[in-house]
Amino acid sequence: MDFWFSYIALASIYVLLGLSTNLLVGIAGIFSVSQAAVFGVGAYIVAFFLMNETMSFLPALAIAALCCIALNILVTLPALRVSGDYFVVTSFGIQLLATAVFTNWTDGTGGANGLPGIPPPDLAGKALESSGEVVSLCVAGMGLGCLIFWLVMRAPFGRLLRAIREDELAVAAAGKSVLRAKVSAAALAGAFAGTAGGLYATFLSFIDPSSFDLDSSILLLTMVVVGGARTLAGSILGPFLLLALPQILTLVDIPTTVAAAARQLIYGVLLIAFMLFRPQGLAGEKL
Amino acid sequence: MTAYLQASGVDVSFGGLKALNDCGFTVQQGKITCLVGPNGAGKTTIFNVITGFLRPGAGSVSFKGQTLDGWKPQAIVAAGIARTFQNLRLFVDLTAIDNVLASMPAQTGEEPVAAIFRPFHVASAQRHRRVEALAILNRVGLIERANDFTRNLSYGEQKLLTIARVLATGAELILLDEPASGLSAGALDGVMALLRRLQDDGKTLLVVEHNTRVVQQIADDVLFLHQGHLMAQGTPEAIVNDPALAEIYFGGTI
Repeated sequence: MDFWFSYIALASIYVLLGLSTNLLVGIAGIFSVSQAAVFGVGAYIVAFFLMNETMSFLPALAIAALCCIALNILVTLPALRVSGDYFVVTSFGIQLLATAVFTNWTDGTGGANGLPGIPPPDLAGKALESSGEVVSLCVAGMGLGCLIFWLVMRAPFGRLLRAIREDELAVAAAGKSVLRAKVSAAALAGAFAGTAGGLYATFLSFIDPSSFDLDSSILLLTMVVVGGARTLAGSILGPFLLLALPQILTLVDIPTTVAAAARQLIYGVLLIAFMLFRPQGLAGEKL
Repeated sequence: MTAYLQASGVDVSFGGLKALNDCGFTVQQGKITCLVGPNGAGKTTIFNVITGFLRPGAGSVSFKGQTLDGWKPQAIVAAGIARTFQNLRLFVDLTAIDNVLASMPAQTGEEPVAAIFRPFHVASAQRHRRVEALAILNRVGLIERANDFTRNLSYGEQKLLTIARVLATGAELILLDEPASGLSAGALDGVMALLRRLQDDGKTLLVVEHNTRVVQQIADDVLFLHQGHLMAQGTPEAIVNDPALAEIYFGGTI
Protein backbone atom coordinates (compact mmCIF):
# COMPACT_ATOMS: atom_id res chain seq x y z
CA MET A 1 0.00 0.00 0.00
CA ASP A 2 1.14 3.48 -0.74
CA PHE A 3 2.97 5.09 2.17
CA TRP A 4 0.66 8.08 2.45
CA PHE A 5 -2.47 5.95 2.47
CA SER A 6 -1.07 3.76 5.17
CA TYR A 7 0.10 6.73 7.21
CA ILE A 8 -3.26 8.50 7.05
CA ALA A 9 -5.24 5.36 7.87
CA LEU A 10 -3.04 4.49 10.86
CA ALA A 11 -3.00 8.07 12.10
CA SER A 12 -6.81 8.21 11.85
CA ILE A 13 -7.08 5.07 13.96
CA TYR A 14 -4.64 6.50 16.49
CA VAL A 15 -6.63 9.73 16.64
CA LEU A 16 -9.58 7.64 17.88
CA LEU A 17 -7.24 6.16 20.48
CA GLY A 18 -5.94 9.62 21.30
CA LEU A 19 -9.52 10.80 21.91
CA SER A 20 -10.10 7.79 24.11
CA THR A 21 -6.95 8.39 26.16
CA ASN A 22 -7.54 12.12 26.33
CA LEU A 23 -11.08 11.64 27.61
CA LEU A 24 -9.99 9.25 30.31
CA VAL A 25 -6.60 10.64 31.34
CA GLY A 26 -6.71 14.28 30.30
CA ILE A 27 -10.31 15.14 31.02
CA ALA A 28 -11.69 12.70 33.58
CA GLY A 29 -8.32 12.51 35.35
CA ILE A 30 -8.30 8.71 35.42
CA PHE A 31 -4.65 7.94 34.77
CA SER A 32 -4.94 4.71 32.81
CA VAL A 33 -1.95 2.98 31.24
CA SER A 34 -4.07 0.16 29.85
CA GLN A 35 -5.86 1.76 26.91
CA ALA A 36 -3.94 -0.45 24.47
CA ALA A 37 -5.48 -3.51 26.14
CA VAL A 38 -8.99 -2.22 25.43
CA PHE A 39 -7.87 -1.36 21.88
CA GLY A 40 -6.65 -4.96 21.51
CA VAL A 41 -9.89 -6.49 22.72
CA GLY A 42 -11.78 -4.49 20.08
CA ALA A 43 -9.36 -5.67 17.41
CA TYR A 44 -9.56 -9.34 18.37
CA ILE A 45 -13.36 -9.31 18.59
CA VAL A 46 -13.77 -7.86 15.09
CA ALA A 47 -11.10 -10.22 13.73
CA PHE A 48 -12.88 -13.19 15.27
CA PHE A 49 -16.28 -12.36 13.78
CA LEU A 50 -14.93 -11.57 10.32
CA MET A 51 -12.61 -14.58 10.10
CA ASN A 52 -15.42 -16.92 11.12
CA GLU A 53 -17.79 -15.12 8.78
CA THR A 54 -20.27 -14.79 11.64
CA MET A 55 -21.39 -11.34 10.58
CA SER A 56 -20.39 -8.39 8.47
CA PHE A 57 -18.09 -5.55 9.50
CA LEU A 58 -20.45 -2.97 10.99
CA PRO A 59 -22.31 -5.29 13.39
CA ALA A 60 -18.97 -6.78 14.42
CA LEU A 61 -17.64 -3.28 15.07
CA ALA A 62 -20.76 -2.44 17.11
CA ILE A 63 -20.30 -5.56 19.25
CA ALA A 64 -16.62 -4.75 19.73
CA ALA A 65 -17.50 -1.21 20.79
CA LEU A 66 -20.12 -2.47 23.25
CA CYS A 67 -17.73 -5.02 24.74
CA CYS A 68 -15.05 -2.36 25.10
CA ILE A 69 -17.52 -0.02 26.80
CA ALA A 70 -18.24 -2.73 29.35
CA LEU A 71 -14.57 -3.63 29.66
CA ASN A 72 -13.40 -0.06 30.10
CA ILE A 73 -15.98 0.58 32.81
CA LEU A 74 -14.81 -2.58 34.57
CA VAL A 75 -11.16 -1.62 34.17
CA THR A 76 -11.63 1.92 35.45
CA LEU A 77 -13.89 0.97 38.35
CA PRO A 78 -10.87 0.62 40.67
CA ALA A 79 -10.04 4.26 39.83
CA LEU A 80 -13.29 5.26 41.46
CA ARG A 81 -12.23 3.49 44.65
CA VAL A 82 -8.46 3.92 44.80
CA SER A 83 -7.09 7.34 43.97
CA GLY A 84 -4.45 8.61 41.57
CA ASP A 85 -1.12 6.96 42.20
CA TYR A 86 -2.62 3.66 43.26
CA PHE A 87 -4.72 3.38 40.18
CA VAL A 88 -1.69 3.66 37.89
CA VAL A 89 -0.36 0.49 39.51
CA THR A 90 -3.74 -1.25 39.14
CA SER A 91 -3.97 -0.16 35.53
CA PHE A 92 -0.42 -1.37 34.89
CA GLY A 93 -1.46 -4.79 36.20
CA ILE A 94 -4.51 -4.83 33.94
CA GLN A 95 -2.31 -4.10 30.92
CA LEU A 96 0.13 -6.91 31.79
CA LEU A 97 -2.78 -9.28 32.34
CA ALA A 98 -4.26 -8.41 28.94
CA THR A 99 -0.91 -8.94 27.21
CA ALA A 100 -0.60 -12.32 28.91
CA VAL A 101 -4.04 -13.33 27.65
CA PHE A 102 -3.37 -12.05 24.09
CA THR A 103 -0.07 -13.98 24.01
CA ASN A 104 -1.14 -17.24 25.62
CA TRP A 105 -4.73 -17.82 24.57
CA THR A 106 -3.62 -19.45 21.31
CA ASP A 107 -7.05 -20.73 20.30
CA GLY A 108 -8.67 -17.31 20.49
CA THR A 109 -5.93 -14.86 19.60
CA GLY A 110 -3.40 -16.97 17.71
CA GLY A 111 -0.97 -16.33 20.56
CA ALA A 112 2.32 -14.64 19.84
CA ASN A 113 2.01 -15.53 16.15
CA GLY A 114 -1.07 -13.36 15.91
CA LEU A 115 -4.02 -13.64 13.56
CA PRO A 116 -3.17 -13.38 9.85
CA GLY A 117 -5.67 -13.09 7.02
CA ILE A 118 -8.34 -10.93 8.58
CA PRO A 119 -10.81 -10.07 5.78
CA PRO A 120 -11.08 -6.44 4.66
CA PRO A 121 -13.98 -4.40 6.04
CA ASP A 122 -17.25 -4.50 4.12
CA LEU A 123 -20.03 -1.98 3.82
CA ALA A 124 -23.50 -2.77 2.48
CA GLY A 125 -22.41 -6.22 1.30
CA LYS A 126 -19.41 -4.94 -0.63
CA ALA A 127 -15.85 -5.64 0.54
CA LEU A 128 -13.58 -2.59 0.61
CA GLU A 129 -10.62 -4.02 -1.31
CA SER A 130 -8.83 -0.92 -2.54
CA SER A 131 -6.58 1.01 -0.21
CA GLY A 132 -8.39 4.24 -1.05
CA GLU A 133 -11.66 2.81 0.24
CA VAL A 134 -10.12 1.52 3.46
CA VAL A 135 -8.38 4.83 4.11
CA SER A 136 -11.69 6.65 3.54
CA LEU A 137 -13.34 4.36 6.09
CA CYS A 138 -10.65 5.10 8.68
CA VAL A 139 -10.84 8.83 8.03
CA ALA A 140 -14.64 8.69 8.30
CA GLY A 141 -14.25 6.86 11.62
CA MET A 142 -11.88 9.55 12.83
CA GLY A 143 -14.25 12.28 11.67
CA LEU A 144 -17.15 10.72 13.51
CA GLY A 145 -15.02 10.30 16.62
CA CYS A 146 -13.94 13.94 16.53
CA LEU A 147 -17.53 15.09 16.06
CA ILE A 148 -18.68 13.06 19.04
CA PHE A 149 -15.80 14.34 21.17
CA TRP A 150 -16.60 17.91 20.20
CA LEU A 151 -20.32 17.44 20.95
CA VAL A 152 -19.84 15.95 24.39
CA MET A 153 -17.19 18.45 25.40
CA ARG A 154 -19.33 21.46 24.53
CA ALA A 155 -22.36 19.94 26.28
CA PRO A 156 -22.93 20.18 30.03
CA PHE A 157 -21.27 16.75 30.25
CA GLY A 158 -17.94 18.25 29.18
CA ARG A 159 -18.26 21.06 31.71
CA LEU A 160 -19.07 18.54 34.42
CA LEU A 161 -15.96 16.50 33.59
CA ARG A 162 -13.77 19.60 33.68
CA ALA A 163 -15.28 20.57 37.02
CA ILE A 164 -14.62 17.07 38.36
CA ARG A 165 -11.02 17.29 37.28
CA GLU A 166 -10.67 20.46 39.31
CA ASP A 167 -12.54 19.60 42.47
CA GLU A 168 -14.59 16.45 43.00
CA LEU A 169 -15.82 17.53 46.40
CA ALA A 170 -17.19 20.80 45.04
CA VAL A 171 -18.98 18.87 42.29
CA ALA A 172 -20.61 16.63 44.89
CA ALA A 173 -21.56 19.75 46.88
CA ALA A 174 -23.26 21.07 43.75
CA GLY A 175 -25.47 17.99 43.79
CA LYS A 176 -23.82 16.06 40.98
CA SER A 177 -22.82 12.41 40.94
CA VAL A 178 -19.08 12.23 40.31
CA LEU A 179 -19.26 8.46 39.95
CA ARG A 180 -21.85 8.58 37.19
CA ALA A 181 -19.90 11.12 35.18
CA LYS A 182 -16.70 9.12 35.44
CA VAL A 183 -18.40 5.90 34.43
CA SER A 184 -19.88 7.70 31.41
CA ALA A 185 -16.45 9.02 30.44
CA ALA A 186 -14.97 5.54 30.76
CA ALA A 187 -17.77 4.11 28.61
CA LEU A 188 -17.21 6.67 25.87
CA ALA A 189 -13.44 6.11 25.98
CA GLY A 190 -14.12 2.38 25.67
CA ALA A 191 -16.30 2.87 22.61
CA PHE A 192 -13.56 4.92 20.93
CA ALA A 193 -10.86 2.35 21.72
CA GLY A 194 -13.02 -0.59 20.58
CA THR A 195 -13.87 1.10 17.29
CA ALA A 196 -10.21 1.91 16.73
CA GLY A 197 -9.38 -1.76 17.37
CA GLY A 198 -11.88 -2.97 14.78
CA LEU A 199 -10.59 -0.56 12.16
CA TYR A 200 -7.01 -1.50 12.96
CA ALA A 201 -7.61 -5.25 12.58
CA THR A 202 -9.34 -4.96 9.21
CA PHE A 203 -6.95 -2.31 7.91
CA LEU A 204 -3.77 -4.30 8.62
CA SER A 205 -5.45 -7.72 8.08
CA PHE A 206 -2.98 -8.99 10.67
CA ILE A 207 -2.83 -8.41 14.41
CA ASP A 208 -0.54 -9.72 17.13
CA PRO A 209 -0.08 -8.91 20.82
CA SER A 210 2.81 -6.51 20.17
CA SER A 211 0.35 -3.86 18.95
CA PHE A 212 -1.55 -3.93 22.22
CA ASP A 213 1.18 -4.07 24.85
CA LEU A 214 2.42 -1.64 27.48
CA ASP A 215 4.64 0.14 24.94
CA SER A 216 1.51 0.93 22.92
CA SER A 217 -0.28 2.28 25.97
CA ILE A 218 2.68 4.51 26.69
CA LEU A 219 2.81 5.59 23.05
CA LEU A 220 -0.83 6.67 23.44
CA LEU A 221 0.01 8.69 26.53
CA THR A 222 2.94 10.26 24.69
CA MET A 223 0.63 11.23 21.83
CA VAL A 224 -1.75 12.95 24.24
CA VAL A 225 1.06 14.71 26.09
CA VAL A 226 2.82 15.88 22.92
CA GLY A 227 -0.37 16.80 21.07
CA GLY A 228 -1.99 18.42 24.05
CA ALA A 229 -4.22 17.18 26.82
CA ARG A 230 -7.94 17.85 26.99
CA THR A 231 -8.42 19.34 23.54
CA LEU A 232 -9.66 18.00 20.26
CA ALA A 233 -6.77 19.58 18.35
CA GLY A 234 -4.28 17.93 20.69
CA SER A 235 -5.82 14.50 20.15
CA ILE A 236 -5.42 14.93 16.40
CA LEU A 237 -1.96 16.52 16.36
CA GLY A 238 -0.28 13.98 18.63
CA PRO A 239 -0.95 10.83 16.58
CA PHE A 240 -0.15 12.48 13.25
CA LEU A 241 3.17 13.79 14.56
CA LEU A 242 4.31 10.73 16.44
CA LEU A 243 3.41 8.28 13.69
CA ALA A 244 5.45 10.35 11.26
CA LEU A 245 8.49 9.86 13.45
CA PRO A 246 9.42 6.31 12.27
CA GLN A 247 9.21 7.52 8.69
CA ILE A 248 11.47 10.47 9.41
CA LEU A 249 13.93 8.07 11.00
CA THR A 250 14.08 6.02 7.80
CA LEU A 251 15.52 9.10 6.09
CA VAL A 252 18.46 9.01 8.45
CA ASP A 253 21.06 6.45 7.45
CA ILE A 254 21.05 4.08 10.42
CA PRO A 255 20.54 0.28 10.58
CA THR A 256 16.91 -0.83 11.09
CA THR A 257 17.74 -2.59 14.36
CA VAL A 258 19.04 0.67 15.78
CA ALA A 259 16.10 2.61 14.34
CA ALA A 260 13.54 0.65 16.40
CA ALA A 261 15.42 1.32 19.60
CA ALA A 262 15.98 4.94 18.63
CA ARG A 263 12.24 5.36 18.17
CA GLN A 264 11.48 4.18 21.71
CA LEU A 265 14.25 6.42 22.96
CA ILE A 266 12.81 9.44 21.18
CA TYR A 267 9.30 8.70 22.51
CA GLY A 268 10.73 8.58 26.02
CA VAL A 269 12.72 11.78 25.59
CA LEU A 270 9.69 13.55 24.11
CA LEU A 271 7.49 12.46 27.01
CA ILE A 272 9.95 13.77 29.59
CA ALA A 273 10.77 16.95 27.68
CA PHE A 274 7.13 17.90 27.21
CA MET A 275 6.25 17.15 30.82
CA LEU A 276 9.10 19.40 31.96
CA PHE A 277 8.98 22.24 29.48
CA ARG A 278 5.53 22.26 27.91
CA PRO A 279 3.06 20.26 30.00
CA GLN A 280 0.14 21.58 27.98
CA GLY A 281 1.54 19.96 24.82
CA LEU A 282 1.42 21.62 21.44
CA ALA A 283 -2.28 22.43 21.46
CA GLY A 284 -3.67 21.54 24.83
CA GLU A 285 -4.32 22.59 28.36
CA LYS A 286 -2.07 21.76 31.27
CA LEU A 287 -2.36 18.10 32.27
CA MET B 1 -44.82 21.66 64.61
CA THR B 2 -41.77 19.95 63.14
CA ALA B 3 -38.57 21.98 63.03
CA TYR B 4 -37.26 23.17 59.68
CA LEU B 5 -33.75 21.88 60.26
CA GLN B 6 -33.03 19.89 63.35
CA ALA B 7 -29.83 18.29 64.57
CA SER B 8 -29.98 16.10 67.62
CA GLY B 9 -27.38 14.20 69.60
CA VAL B 10 -24.74 14.41 66.86
CA ASP B 11 -21.38 12.87 67.76
CA VAL B 12 -18.33 12.99 65.53
CA SER B 13 -14.88 11.78 66.57
CA PHE B 14 -11.61 12.11 64.69
CA GLY B 15 -9.41 9.54 66.36
CA GLY B 16 -9.49 10.49 70.03
CA LEU B 17 -10.74 14.02 69.38
CA LYS B 18 -14.44 14.66 69.83
CA ALA B 19 -15.27 17.24 67.18
CA LEU B 20 -18.98 17.13 67.95
CA ASN B 21 -20.31 15.96 71.26
CA ASP B 22 -24.06 15.48 71.62
CA CYS B 23 -24.61 18.47 69.38
CA GLY B 24 -28.21 19.51 68.83
CA PHE B 25 -30.07 22.61 67.66
CA THR B 26 -32.88 23.78 65.43
CA VAL B 27 -32.95 26.30 62.60
CA GLN B 28 -36.15 28.16 61.79
CA GLN B 29 -37.39 28.64 58.28
CA GLY B 30 -36.83 32.05 56.73
CA LYS B 31 -34.35 33.16 59.40
CA ILE B 32 -30.68 33.98 59.24
CA THR B 33 -29.07 31.84 61.89
CA CYS B 34 -25.43 32.44 62.74
CA LEU B 35 -23.23 29.68 64.05
CA VAL B 36 -20.47 31.09 66.23
CA GLY B 37 -17.84 29.74 68.56
CA PRO B 38 -14.08 29.56 69.00
CA ASN B 39 -11.84 27.75 66.53
CA GLY B 40 -12.27 24.03 66.78
CA ALA B 41 -15.79 24.32 68.18
CA GLY B 42 -17.09 22.05 65.42
CA LYS B 43 -18.82 24.61 63.19
CA THR B 44 -17.51 23.29 59.89
CA THR B 45 -17.90 19.73 61.12
CA ILE B 46 -21.62 20.19 61.67
CA PHE B 47 -21.82 21.62 58.12
CA ASN B 48 -20.17 18.48 56.85
CA VAL B 49 -22.65 16.33 58.75
CA ILE B 50 -25.72 18.27 57.54
CA THR B 51 -24.59 18.15 53.90
CA GLY B 52 -23.74 14.45 53.93
CA PHE B 53 -19.97 14.73 53.63
CA LEU B 54 -19.45 13.21 57.04
CA ARG B 55 -21.30 10.36 58.74
CA PRO B 56 -21.75 11.07 62.43
CA GLY B 57 -20.96 8.32 64.93
CA ALA B 58 -24.31 8.99 66.58
CA GLY B 59 -27.22 11.36 66.30
CA SER B 60 -29.40 12.51 63.50
CA VAL B 61 -30.25 15.45 61.26
CA SER B 62 -33.69 16.06 59.82
CA PHE B 63 -34.96 18.58 57.33
CA LYS B 64 -38.65 19.49 57.17
CA GLY B 65 -39.49 16.43 59.21
CA GLN B 66 -37.51 14.05 57.03
CA THR B 67 -34.36 12.38 58.29
CA LEU B 68 -31.21 12.90 56.22
CA ASP B 69 -29.23 10.15 57.90
CA GLY B 70 -27.13 8.15 55.46
CA TRP B 71 -28.03 10.37 52.51
CA LYS B 72 -25.42 11.13 49.89
CA PRO B 73 -24.41 14.79 49.33
CA GLN B 74 -26.20 14.91 45.98
CA ALA B 75 -29.45 13.68 47.52
CA ILE B 76 -29.22 16.35 50.20
CA VAL B 77 -28.69 19.06 47.57
CA ALA B 78 -31.71 17.70 45.72
CA ALA B 79 -33.70 17.92 48.95
CA GLY B 80 -32.88 21.65 49.06
CA ILE B 81 -29.76 22.14 51.20
CA ALA B 82 -26.54 23.48 49.69
CA ARG B 83 -23.31 24.85 51.12
CA THR B 84 -20.23 26.91 50.45
CA PHE B 85 -16.74 26.08 51.62
CA GLN B 86 -14.48 28.19 53.76
CA ASN B 87 -11.68 27.66 51.22
CA LEU B 88 -14.13 28.44 48.38
CA ARG B 89 -13.37 25.35 46.21
CA LEU B 90 -14.35 27.16 43.01
CA PHE B 91 -13.56 25.70 39.60
CA VAL B 92 -10.84 28.27 38.95
CA ASP B 93 -10.10 27.14 35.39
CA LEU B 94 -13.73 27.66 34.38
CA THR B 95 -15.39 31.01 33.77
CA ALA B 96 -17.64 32.54 36.40
CA ILE B 97 -20.78 31.65 34.46
CA ASP B 98 -19.57 28.08 33.97
CA ASN B 99 -19.16 27.77 37.73
CA VAL B 100 -22.81 28.72 38.07
CA LEU B 101 -23.96 26.50 35.21
CA ALA B 102 -22.04 23.53 36.59
CA SER B 103 -24.13 23.77 39.75
CA MET B 104 -27.56 23.84 38.14
CA PRO B 105 -29.58 20.67 38.66
CA ALA B 106 -30.78 18.14 36.07
CA GLN B 107 -29.46 19.54 32.81
CA THR B 108 -30.06 17.97 29.41
CA GLY B 109 -26.77 16.82 27.97
CA GLU B 110 -25.14 16.16 31.29
CA GLU B 111 -24.53 12.61 30.10
CA PRO B 112 -23.03 11.66 26.74
CA VAL B 113 -26.06 10.02 25.10
CA ALA B 114 -28.15 13.20 24.95
CA ALA B 115 -25.02 15.23 24.16
CA ILE B 116 -24.34 13.08 21.08
CA PHE B 117 -27.82 12.32 19.79
CA ARG B 118 -29.72 15.49 20.64
CA PRO B 119 -27.14 18.25 20.18
CA PHE B 120 -29.62 20.93 19.09
CA HIS B 121 -31.96 20.21 21.97
CA VAL B 122 -28.99 20.39 24.36
CA ALA B 123 -27.79 23.67 22.84
CA SER B 124 -31.20 25.31 23.12
CA ALA B 125 -31.63 24.10 26.71
CA GLN B 126 -28.20 25.56 27.49
CA ARG B 127 -29.19 28.92 26.08
CA HIS B 128 -32.07 29.05 28.56
CA ARG B 129 -29.80 28.00 31.37
CA ARG B 130 -27.31 30.73 30.49
CA VAL B 131 -30.06 33.32 30.89
CA GLU B 132 -30.87 31.92 34.33
CA ALA B 133 -27.17 31.82 35.22
CA LEU B 134 -26.75 35.47 34.20
CA ALA B 135 -29.71 36.39 36.40
CA ILE B 136 -28.03 34.67 39.34
CA LEU B 137 -24.73 36.42 38.64
CA ASN B 138 -26.65 39.68 38.46
CA ARG B 139 -28.25 38.91 41.83
CA VAL B 140 -24.84 38.66 43.51
CA GLY B 141 -23.40 41.56 41.51
CA LEU B 142 -21.04 39.66 39.24
CA ILE B 143 -22.79 40.08 35.90
CA GLU B 144 -19.86 41.99 34.43
CA ARG B 145 -17.48 39.18 35.30
CA ALA B 146 -19.61 36.40 33.77
CA ASN B 147 -17.15 35.40 31.08
CA ASP B 148 -13.95 35.96 33.05
CA PHE B 149 -11.94 33.03 34.27
CA THR B 150 -12.54 32.50 37.94
CA ARG B 151 -8.85 32.59 38.77
CA ASN B 152 -8.79 36.22 37.58
CA LEU B 153 -11.54 37.31 39.96
CA SER B 154 -10.63 39.15 43.17
CA TYR B 155 -11.03 37.30 46.46
CA GLY B 156 -14.20 39.23 47.23
CA GLU B 157 -15.66 38.40 43.84
CA GLN B 158 -14.75 34.76 44.29
CA LYS B 159 -16.64 34.72 47.58
CA LEU B 160 -19.69 36.16 45.84
CA LEU B 161 -19.33 33.49 43.17
CA THR B 162 -19.51 30.75 45.81
CA ILE B 163 -22.87 32.22 46.85
CA ALA B 164 -23.99 32.35 43.20
CA ARG B 165 -23.04 28.71 42.84
CA VAL B 166 -25.12 27.74 45.84
CA LEU B 167 -28.08 29.71 44.50
CA ALA B 168 -27.75 27.85 41.21
CA THR B 169 -28.53 24.56 42.92
CA GLY B 170 -31.95 25.99 43.77
CA ALA B 171 -31.50 25.18 47.46
CA GLU B 172 -33.87 26.79 49.95
CA LEU B 173 -31.59 26.25 52.95
CA ILE B 174 -28.16 27.73 52.36
CA LEU B 175 -25.16 26.98 54.52
CA LEU B 176 -22.43 29.61 54.27
CA ASP B 177 -19.00 28.95 55.75
CA GLU B 178 -17.50 32.33 56.72
CA PRO B 179 -18.87 34.43 53.84
CA ALA B 180 -17.41 37.63 55.33
CA SER B 181 -13.90 36.55 56.29
CA GLY B 182 -11.04 38.26 54.51
CA LEU B 183 -13.23 40.94 52.96
CA SER B 184 -12.65 44.68 52.93
CA ALA B 185 -15.16 46.84 54.79
CA GLY B 186 -16.89 47.83 51.55
CA ALA B 187 -17.17 44.27 50.31
CA LEU B 188 -18.42 43.23 53.73
CA ASP B 189 -21.39 45.61 53.51
CA GLY B 190 -22.14 44.23 50.06
CA VAL B 191 -22.20 40.65 51.31
CA MET B 192 -24.40 41.53 54.28
CA ALA B 193 -26.87 43.32 52.02
CA LEU B 194 -26.86 40.31 49.72
CA LEU B 195 -27.65 37.93 52.58
CA ARG B 196 -30.55 40.15 53.57
CA ARG B 197 -31.86 40.09 50.00
CA LEU B 198 -31.63 36.31 49.93
CA GLN B 199 -33.67 36.20 53.11
CA ASP B 200 -36.25 38.43 51.44
CA ASP B 201 -36.33 35.93 48.57
CA GLY B 202 -37.46 33.31 51.06
CA LYS B 203 -34.16 31.54 51.61
CA THR B 204 -33.14 30.26 55.01
CA LEU B 205 -29.51 30.86 55.91
CA LEU B 206 -27.22 29.11 58.33
CA VAL B 207 -23.99 31.07 58.51
CA VAL B 208 -20.69 30.31 60.20
CA GLU B 209 -19.24 33.70 61.11
CA HIS B 210 -16.45 35.03 63.30
CA ASN B 211 -17.04 38.71 62.80
CA THR B 212 -19.26 39.85 65.68
CA ARG B 213 -20.24 42.99 63.80
CA VAL B 214 -21.61 40.87 60.97
CA VAL B 215 -23.38 38.58 63.40
CA GLN B 216 -25.03 41.51 65.16
CA GLN B 217 -26.16 43.04 61.92
CA ILE B 218 -27.58 40.06 60.10
CA ALA B 219 -28.47 37.33 62.57
CA ASP B 220 -32.00 36.66 63.71
CA ASP B 221 -30.80 33.83 65.85
CA VAL B 222 -27.36 32.80 67.10
CA LEU B 223 -26.09 29.36 67.98
CA PHE B 224 -23.00 29.30 70.18
CA LEU B 225 -20.96 26.15 69.78
CA HIS B 226 -18.20 25.19 72.18
CA GLN B 227 -16.19 21.97 72.17
CA GLY B 228 -18.63 20.36 69.80
CA HIS B 229 -21.68 21.15 71.91
CA LEU B 230 -24.38 23.81 71.74
CA MET B 231 -23.68 26.10 74.69
CA ALA B 232 -26.25 28.76 74.07
CA GLN B 233 -28.89 29.87 71.62
CA GLY B 234 -30.45 33.32 71.46
CA THR B 235 -30.61 36.73 69.88
CA PRO B 236 -27.33 38.34 68.79
CA GLU B 237 -27.52 40.85 71.67
CA ALA B 238 -28.02 38.16 74.27
CA ILE B 239 -25.10 36.08 72.95
CA VAL B 240 -22.66 38.94 72.39
CA ASN B 241 -23.38 40.50 75.76
CA ASP B 242 -23.07 37.27 77.72
CA PRO B 243 -19.82 37.62 79.69
CA ALA B 244 -19.38 33.86 80.10
CA LEU B 245 -19.54 33.33 76.35
CA ALA B 246 -17.23 36.27 75.68
CA GLU B 247 -14.75 34.72 78.06
CA ILE B 248 -14.80 31.48 76.05
CA TYR B 249 -14.68 33.26 72.75
CA PHE B 250 -12.00 35.81 73.35
CA GLY B 251 -10.02 34.90 76.41
CA GLY B 252 -11.14 31.51 76.77
CA THR B 253 -10.62 28.07 78.00
CA ILE B 254 -9.84 26.40 74.72
